[in-house]
Amino acid sequence: MQKIELMAPAGNFESLQAALDNGADSVYFGVEQLNMRARASINFTLDDLPEISRRCQEKGVRTYLTLNTIIYDHDLSIVKTLVKCAKEANITAVIAMDQAVIMVARELGMEVHISTQINITNIETVKFYAMFADTMVMSRELSLRQVKKISEQIEKEQIKGPSGKLVEIEIFGHGALCMAVSGKCYMSLHSHNSSANRGACKQNCRKKYTVVDQETGFEMELDNEYIMSPKDLCTIDFLEEVIDAGITVLKIEGRGRAPEYVANVIKCYREAIDSIENGTYSKEKVIGWMQELEKVYNRGFWSGYYLGQKLGEWSKGSGSHATQKKVYIGKGVHYFPKASIGEFKIEAYDLSLGDTILITGPTTGAKEMTVDTMLVNDEQLEKGIKGDSVTIPIPFRVRPSDKLYKIVENKVEA
Amino acid sequence: MVVVTLQRNKCIGCNYCVELAPEQFQMSKKDGKSVLLRSQEKKGFFTLKSPDEAILDPCDQAAKACPVKIISVKSV
Repeated sequence: MQKIELMAPAGNFESLQAALDNGADSVYFGVEQLNMRARASINFTLDDLPEISRRCQEKGVRTYLTLNTIIYDHDLSIVKTLVKCAKEANITAVIAMDQAVIMVARELGMEVHISTQINITNIETVKFYAMFADTMVMSRELSLRQVKKISEQIEKEQIKGPSGKLVEIEIFGHGALCMAVSGKCYMSLHSHNSSANRGACKQNCRKKYTVVDQETGFEMELDNEYIMSPKDLCTIDFLEEVIDAGITVLKIEGRGRAPEYVANVIKCYREAIDSIENGTYSKEKVIGWMQELEKVYNRGFWSGYYLGQKLGEWSKGSGSHATQKKVYIGKGVHYFPKASIGEFKIEAYDLSLGDTILITGPTTGAKEMTVDTMLVNDEQLEKGIKGDSVTIPIPFRVRPSDKLYKIVENKVEA
Repeated sequence: MVVVTLQRNKCIGCNYCVELAPEQFQMSKKDGKSVLLRSQEKKGFFTLKSPDEAILDPCDQAAKACPVKIISVKSV
């Protein structure tokens, strides 16, 4: 069986570290402009590239810079700058949609991956892009049967990329799906002038709508369904079939998501891929992973288009269906490395013995643990409240840039 | 007097302002972001003060069209 590369999303250093700590083989990210999360409030900058590269190289993790928006003439110079800086920082490849980006990357000797926005759905298109790229993301609208056929054909016809190796097939394994063909959506542009194709999607498809008959004025609420908001893709329960389709890269969606999402999802898929490789993948394990995946942001799960054209799996609400949520408690103050004790200042709510805490930070990533013992203002107490200083035994370093959260149950609307 | 302000660092380079007010905005080929012509910078905010009331309408349209809401227009 071919070794599967697990690719993680990274929107910031917290998520990047979470991906590295939980077993990602590669990460993808954008810097400021010209990526599908250009609008996100937290984003990497050009100056972050060397640090991203350093952290990933240390762990042997590949790095991909997304440059996958539509490109205007006035963007061409910044495209060159971005690709040049990526090359200088030893970033592995550029994920491209526009032919200009492909051209620039090739001219500068940078490896190219074809973005899902190009929507590859047949072998001839694979052949075409093989002139420029070694790895291609297949369209999300393909079934696994179709993906398998394409990968078999690549093998049969020996379709090779610029590196001289057979073209690698990448598909999305988990995360949000669009009602539109990936990225090619004008809804947010029409309503807010905010183009999804420039990374500025307002996600207004995720709301509940009423349909009005223009002739009679009759209004209809569509059976309480969010009819333009598909549930999230989840493939962990049929991952063997996904891998059997001949893919080499499994991509996890979610550059706009929190670090604990990245940590949780990557951990589950890492375990699942490893289980398949060592023959211990089982139904019981799948049940456990599903419970874990439901804890973090999701709109409900379905199998996407992979198992045939099953449609109509719409979300039942505008937000997350996660079974857990994080509540901000306070921040890191100090770490005593000899005693392995972390000190925190509680700024909101309270913290009790037995609580599950989440600590996030640019270097810490996202780490969860249970509070078994703690000192509150140097006293052995069971509960700390706002304003208190608490010290907790922590097996990893805590930093002043770290945030402390409590994990609580999230009441999901039926 | 018309006062136009552009908070340039948040620009996503969508080009709308140039389409609607080409006399006042231009896309920079250097970094792909919008430039408010003849403006003065202070802490990342670029401001143009113009006695020409005719620029009010196109700049207003540009401000309304801006997806990241970084253009403000006032008549004082």
